[in-house]
Amino acid sequence: MDSRSREFELRVASDWGKMGSVNEAILAFLESCGLAGELADRYTMVACELTENGIKYGNFEKTGASVSVKVKVDRRGIFVEVTNPIGAGTHDYLRELDRTIQWVRGFQDPFEAYIERMQAISRESIEVDRSGLGLVRITYEGRAALDFYVEDDSTLSVSAVSEL
Amino acid sequence: MESIQSFVNDRLKIEYADDGQACTVRFFGKSFLKDPGEFVFPILSKVLQDAIEGKKRVFIDFRELAYMNSSTITPVIKILERARMGAGEITVQYKHSLKWQDISFSALIIFQTPDRRIEIVGME
Repeated sequence: MDSRSREFELRVASDWGKMGSVNEAILAFLESCGLAGELADRYTMVACELTENGIKYGNFEKTGASVSVKVKVDRRGIFVEVTNPIGAGTHDYLRELDRTIQWVRGFQDPFEAYIERMQAISRESIEVDRSGLGLVRITYEGRAALDFYVEDDSTLSVSAVSEL
Repeated sequence: MESIQSFVNDRLKIEYADDGQACTVRFFGKSFLKDPGEFVFPILSKVLQDAIEGKKRVFIDFRELAYMNSSTITPVIKILERARMGAGEITVQYKHSLKWQDISFSALIIFQTPDRRIEIVGME
């Protein structure tokens, strides 16, 4: 792998139809950093899951509002940060995000959290389409540590950090 | 005679084949669907119902799937649970050598039944 630090940033419109292009762009960047197929797949998934959440739960009322996706690769690891605008309607999601991250941290092995979430989904009715698996998958399959911060009450940044 | 039906949504293609002995649902491409349950669940539900009536096993084959978001696993979990609690035989097949598939799909083992009526199989 390239020993230098490499960074990549994408601005994504609030358009779910862009997710295929986001996936391709991040995968291409990670491969250009010399990451082998399996690692490139893993961190592409991490960035895409966070981007989906940014589009799903962001507030895009202001013209030109978008989701920012930053990926940084260096010898120590991979840092992914997704930032999206938030509004008053986002507060329930922030509470849920905080609760989920704290809940996942409570497991010694993220696999246990993943299994527990799958069991919960199996008990939910067919009509409940929200999986709530994305963040858990990032810690289990992506082996990443999650964190988030809110800036000026107007943007939310969620990060996932993995050691290489 | 084998009948094959194809369903396409964005970059995800689902093929349903019935050869008279078994019903096979194959996933191809990439799934970025926002609400995969609306697209995937009705297909899996219909296949499971047809298979139960025809006394056939359902094979759900993910080996040609290149990527899926976490929401895509939800309808699969729900169909496995429906079969586990009721009737039907389902085999989930994934590509063991593909790391992301191994990690994602091997976890479905919690839905496997002791009599292998529901089974999760990693394949080459």
